[in-house]
Amino acid sequence: MAEHISVFVENKPGKIMAITKVIADNHINLLGIAISSSGEFGIVKLLPDDIGKAYEVLKQNNYTVHKRNVVIVIVDDKPGSLHQVLLILSNANINVEDCYGFVLAGGRRAAIVLETDESREAEKVLADHHIRLVSNEDMHIL
Amino acid sequence: MYWQKDLECIDRDHLKKLQKDRFASTMANASRSPYYKRLFSENDIGGTLPLDLIADIPFTSKQDLRNHFPYGFLAVDLEETVRLHSSSGTTGNPTVVFHTSEDIEAWASLMARSIYMTGARNTDVFQNMMGYGLFTGGLGLHYGAEKLGMLVIPIGPGNSKRQLWFMQQFKTTVVHILPSYALRLHNVMEESGIDPRKDTCLRIAFIGAEPHTEAIRKKIEELLGVDAYNSYGLSEMCGPGVAFECVCKDGLHLWEDEFYMEVIDPVTGNVLPDGEEGELVLTTLKRKAQPLLRYRTRDLTRIIPGECKCGRTHRRIERIKGRSDDMLIINGVNLFPMQIEKVIMGIPEAGNNYIIEVHKKNYMDKITVKVEINENYFNGTLAELAHLEKKIEEELKAELLVTPVVKLVEASSLPIHEGKAKRVYDLREMEQGGG
Repeated sequence: MAEHISVFVENKPGKIMAITKVIADNHINLLGIAISSSGEFGIVKLLPDDIGKAYEVLKQNNYTVHKRNVVIVIVDDKPGSLHQVLLILSNANINVEDCYGFVLAGGRRAAIVLETDESREAEKVLADHHIRLVSNEDMHIL
Repeated sequence: MYWQKDLECIDRDHLKKLQKDRFASTMANASRSPYYKRLFSENDIGGTLPLDLIADIPFTSKQDLRNHFPYGFLAVDLEETVRLHSSSGTTGNPTVVFHTSEDIEAWASLMARSIYMTGARNTDVFQNMMGYGLFTGGLGLHYGAEKLGMLVIPIGPGNSKRQLWFMQQFKTTVVHILPSYALRLHNVMEESGIDPRKDTCLRIAFIGAEPHTEAIRKKIEELLGVDAYNSYGLSEMCGPGVAFECVCKDGLHLWEDEFYMEVIDPVTGNVLPDGEEGELVLTTLKRKAQPLLRYRTRDLTRIIPGECKCGRTHRRIERIKGRSDDMLIINGVNLFPMQIEKVIMGIPEAGNNYIIEVHKKNYMDKITVKVEINENYFNGTLAELAHLEKKIEEELKAELLVTPVVKLVEASSLPIHEGKAKRVYDLREMEQGGG
């Protein structure tokens, strides 16, 4: 099981910068970031190398934060990889709320972070199809 | 010229005598209501207390009405009542006012008197754009206009295109409208290419239910090509028809044959002399179902000394300046910040800190409530937040009868105040007009 951090932010200039400043000042490395917004407010999603520390320092700075279960899969960085993952989930009738991805060091593989309300079922069905899943602890070895 | 000349131009001595007699019956009547019965015995007030000693009677407040909901102020048997009107509010007790058929009749007469005073006649077509229902604005003018014999179009507020269609089809000459809505309606006329001076028969507008300035009146008169008259009332007394402007447009004649007025210092409670500004306190002199003694209106005004050129002897009050409490008037609907607080506190996902902003947009009042989210309930999804916003909006709408815009803001992002929090930011003055 993997997690990322969701931070509630108002949709105003400088709001995301303030968050990345807290992260940077505390020497935390961000592996991935995504933003969903709906008009007046949004949610910044962070995948830090040290999730516990990131959560603590953001809380200390009065941010509204939540550790949310996500599914992180590792795929080859080539055409059709993401499609294959989504096809498996779609066939299992699992809805994906949001996803973002990033290429891993070395450039041959990519990590995809999937947000779904059914993360346990998603992990199970993906594992059954031999898709490689990682947890936060494994992230640094990638 | 006059609807009831003998009453409208009654000389002051006769008026005083009439007030004394009616006050005596009001006292006898009031002692039949559970609230006043107890108040009189607790304060050693006899049912025959003369009008000169009215200051011996403690004030009655809106809170007293709420605390003795629903029948504590009722002075007649329930079978004698034919109607109730009420303010908004489901979390606290609303203010409820009962009427007998005599009360309704008297109210309609006061209204007819007021409407006639402005020059409106039975040949006029009257489009009533004020809310009907528990709010007294719509029905009050409706009954008065019918009594006078006008053709009444009980259209209610909103739906501007439809308003204009009726106005043109039936050659409406008189309207009853919120001042802010009158300005908004002019915008819609402009957009539709309607020139109110050429393309409508409008000649008189009754504007009330929300305090407005002389500048706003002039603007409405200018834009719509009408004479605009200020109307004042409150549902606790009956509704509109407590005070109204005559053609001199120099203050509102308060109908002293049916209401006894005092102006007090809102802090000390001392009665002030004519001409000094304070809070208007009213005593009903004719109401049967629910007489009220020394009722604090919370409206700030002053009694204008001297006589009016129109010949009516009833003293005038100046247009209402504001409130001595924190009540907000939003497009004519009264609400208290406390109502908003109760709703927010009843929703666990909402945080405890909030502010209320009141804006003017397109001449209409808009309420924005900014609520901090409660981080303990934050689960990191947008859908959840959108759902929470909607939920707070729905619950506020049910409580206030107006639809606020709810904006979720970050926890701890709103100002924290030492002591009494400043929660209400009324920005309407700065935004007066369009935009």
